[in-house]
This record gives sequence, C-alpha cells and structure tokens, in this order.
Amino acid sequence: MSEALDLSLRAQAAAIAAGEVDAAELLEAALARIEARNPAINAVVATFPEHSREMLAAAPAGPLHGVPVVVKDEWPLPWRAQRFGAADMLVTPVPGESGPYRALRDAGAVIVGVGNMHELGASSTGNVSVYGPARNPWNPERCPGGSSSGPAAAVAARLVAGAVGADGIGSIRYPAAYCGLTGLKPTFGRSAMAGHHMADISTTIVSGPLCADAGDCRLLGSVLFGEELRAGEAQGLRIGVIRDEVSEDVAPAVREACEAAIEDLRRENGGEVREIDLPELAAATLATVLIANSESLGGVTPQRLNDLAPELSPLGRGLLKYRLMLPAAATVKAHQVRTMARQRLAEVFADVDVIAWPTVPAVAPPLEAPIVELPSGTLTADAANVRGGALANLTGIPSISVPVGSSEGLPVALQLQAAWGHDELLLDAAEALERANGRRWVDAAPPMARAEPSEA
Amino acid sequence: MEASNPADDFIPAALAAFGVEADEIELAVMRAAHELFWPPILELLALDTGAVAPEPAPDLSQAPPSR
Repeated sequence: MSEALDLSLRAQAAAIAAGEVDAAELLEAALARIEARNPAINAVVATFPEHSREMLAAAPAGPLHGVPVVVKDEWPLPWRAQRFGAADMLVTPVPGESGPYRALRDAGAVIVGVGNMHELGASSTGNVSVYGPARNPWNPERCPGGSSSGPAAAVAARLVAGAVGADGIGSIRYPAAYCGLTGLKPTFGRSAMAGHHMADISTTIVSGPLCADAGDCRLLGSVLFGEELRAGEAQGLRIGVIRDEVSEDVAPAVREACEAAIEDLRRENGGEVREIDLPELAAATLATVLIANSESLGGVTPQRLNDLAPELSPLGRGLLKYRLMLPAAATVKAHQVRTMARQRLAEVFADVDVIAWPTVPAVAPPLEAPIVELPSGTLTADAANVRGGALANLTGIPSISVPVGSSEGLPVALQLQAAWGHDELLLDAAEALERANGRRWVDAAPPMARAEPSEA
Repeated sequence: MEASNPADDFIPAALAAFGVEADEIELAVMRAAHELFWPPILELLALDTGAVAPEPAPDLSQAPPSR
C-alpha cells in the first residue's frame, strides 16, 4: 500500500474512488510512513490516528475522499489548537473548526498530521520552531523554507501528496521553492480563512495548497476555494519580466534556470516576453513587512510582552518587542505604497498576463546559518527572499511557485504572479511549464522519498 | 571618539518608555532588526506620497477602482 502514497493527490483520489485503493489501508500506510521517515525531517509534529480514522469513517464522497493530507500548525482543528510553531502567542489559541478543516472534511479528506512551521510565522527559513526545525528532504542540513516548513517537507518526502499552508509574506512559496514543490498563494480572500487567529485583522494571510505539481494544487486549491478551479490553455501568454534586483541580484544558477524556464513557457504557449517596470517594488517590500507586523499589535500590551514565555526563542521575543517601535507614520506611508503598487499592477496587467521572477534568489541555505551569497554580497535568506515574495501579499494578487531546476542538489523555483482572481491562469501556466520541460522538475523526488522495502 | 550606534540609544530608550523589559539577547536581536529595518523605514518616510490617498478599505480580492 505504501506505493499508493507515491501517487499524486489526484491519482490517490481517483484510485480510491475506483476501488483500486482501500482508503483505510492508505491511512495506515501514511501513518507508518510518517513514523518511518519523519524523524529525519521533523515535518509532522502531531499525529492523531483515532481522529484521522474517525474522519475517514465519516468522510463524504467528495473530491478528496479518503486521501491523507497534512495541515500547517497555523490552523486549529476540533481536537487540537494551533501552536503557531511557538511556545507562546499573543492570543490564546483554541481548538475549533477552521476553514481549511471544514473544506477538507467536506471534501472527504483525512487529516493525518499537523505540519511544523517557523516560530510565529516569522521567517522564510523554517529553522526555528518550538518543535525544533523541520529539515529539507533534499538535504536535511538545509532549510526547508518557511513559514510553512513542515507541510512542504512532508509533501517533498512523500509522507502525503498534499498539504495546506498559509502565506502572509511568501510562507507557502518559499518552502515550495526550497523543497521542489508547487505552491499556490491564492488571491486574497478567495481561499478558506475562517478560524485563523488573525482572520479578522490580517490583510496579507491566505491559506493555500502545497503539492508536487500544478494539477494537485488545482485539486486541493478547488477544495480550499470551495469552487472548481477550471483548467484552461494559457495560449499566447504575455509574460512580464522586470530588470531589477528581484530578477538580477540572484545566484547565477538560479538566474539561468529561471530565464530558461521563462523561455520554455513562452515557447510552449506561443506567447511573448515583455519587460515591465515596477518602481514601487522596493518600497512595497518594506510596506508589506510593516503592515503585516503592525496588524497583530492590537492585542499587545507592554505587560503582555513582559510576560512572554521564556520558552519562546530570544529571536521571537526580541522581534515581538521590536514591533512596538515601528513608527506609525511609516505604517501610514505603507498603506499609501500599497495603493500605489495596486494601481501600478492594474496597469501592468493590462499589458501582460503573468509576471515572472525567481521565487527565491538562491537555493535553500544551511539550517545553522541561513544566509545566501548573491552578486551584491552576503544577505540573510529572509532579507533576500522577501524582495520577491512580498508584493503578492501587499496587493492581494495570486502567485505560484513552480520548480524549474536544480543547483547543488537543491531545487530552483520560478514565481508567476497574475491579476486578481486569475489563480486558474497561474495553474494553467504552471501546467504548461511542466509540459515544456517534460515534468522533469515536478516529478523529481529527494533520495529519502524513494520507497523502502521495509515500508511496503 | 567612535560614533555610537543610534540603536544603542534608541532601543533601550524606547523600551524604557514603553515599560518593556528585555535581556541582553533580546536587545541584540532588536539591534539587528533595527539595523535591517531602520534605513529603509527612513527612506520610506522620505518618500513623497502626498498625492496618494490610500484606498480607505481596499478590497484586496480585486483590482483597485480605476483612477
């Protein structure tokens, strides 16, 4: 039965629906595989076999009937409150039926585990967590990406074929890139968000799928959106590229792979590449950080900050306290920059269908020292990654990360962004890219994901 | 005489004003964050955005209204 775990999400669903795979056996196989493979990567931080079996027993005949999935430690479940990867949060988490939980339950899916995440969702690396860091299945000494570190590592290691993450500033796309997956950050407000502890105040966070390829993201995304994300052709795609640090201050191997992928995509669809200009991009990056970090301040008091649990990392404690010092005038400016960026993008998307640049400028850095070497010099991975990841969260547009190459034995990824509501077009474009490169990169699996006889 | 790092003064003063305590490691984290964020914050503050009225309650699921 463990072979069925290596099938795509949609193939697992189809095999169960056709009676070719027994869902109960698949669930037990998934639990066994987590037990066998997870110690090396710490992707899954909680399993609850009885709850999973109960979900399966009650599962309706939906599009994911009987298919095991993982959800990030950012989403409450009826039997488990989220921990947000942290020993302490600014709010008190409670168990409950989050939007993603309901969507998965109603689709017949079986939640088999909770995925690790970077503490408080505060980094693109995944190297700090109350559970200890998740590790990259391609190289356990490297960062899996964050903050949806565990969901990405779990899918890359083929513990499950699909996982639900959350993306407030790139937190689905960075781990998708580092782990060689396809990750969709939906248009703001389009995917299930209820029950998130910041659902009523965040203007950047969305739920979204992390899967091996675009077809699986289409299926899991349809469940999270509550509507079918129909497939199209993306013919004559107009691809916008930018000559800026986001595409040029990039490791040479990443730049080469992404430029080749853009050319592949253009050729596959009979499209064209057009240069675009986004002068607001640098300011937009800071604006996103300011807005995202100030939105959680409503419940903060000095006393609450003095009472933070000592088990919270010094990094987490220091950054929470630093948020108090962000000047209000800068946050007001950030909202003006948001307006400017949205207006600019509306103009840009009249001329192009998608904007393409590397998801992250370098492959996954070491867990112990998450820094990257770029043409401009050495940067922290966070400072480098946010340049390319923030715009979609600031403006609300959808974005997808697609694997397009390999360097140092680690995945390289291209990011595509589209106009508001055009999530389906991103999936179409990602599928076109898969066709163009013969699925070379979406079908690549890390060594640890190769089935072992003892797991059969 | 060496010029002092502005963060050495700003952060402890701000923490004291807020009544927030911090240990040495947290202070080091805040200094690093300050070094990273403060220069672009100053650039942002210097940006002339006077003619831009922020969307009052932007619908981030859609394009902005035409200007």
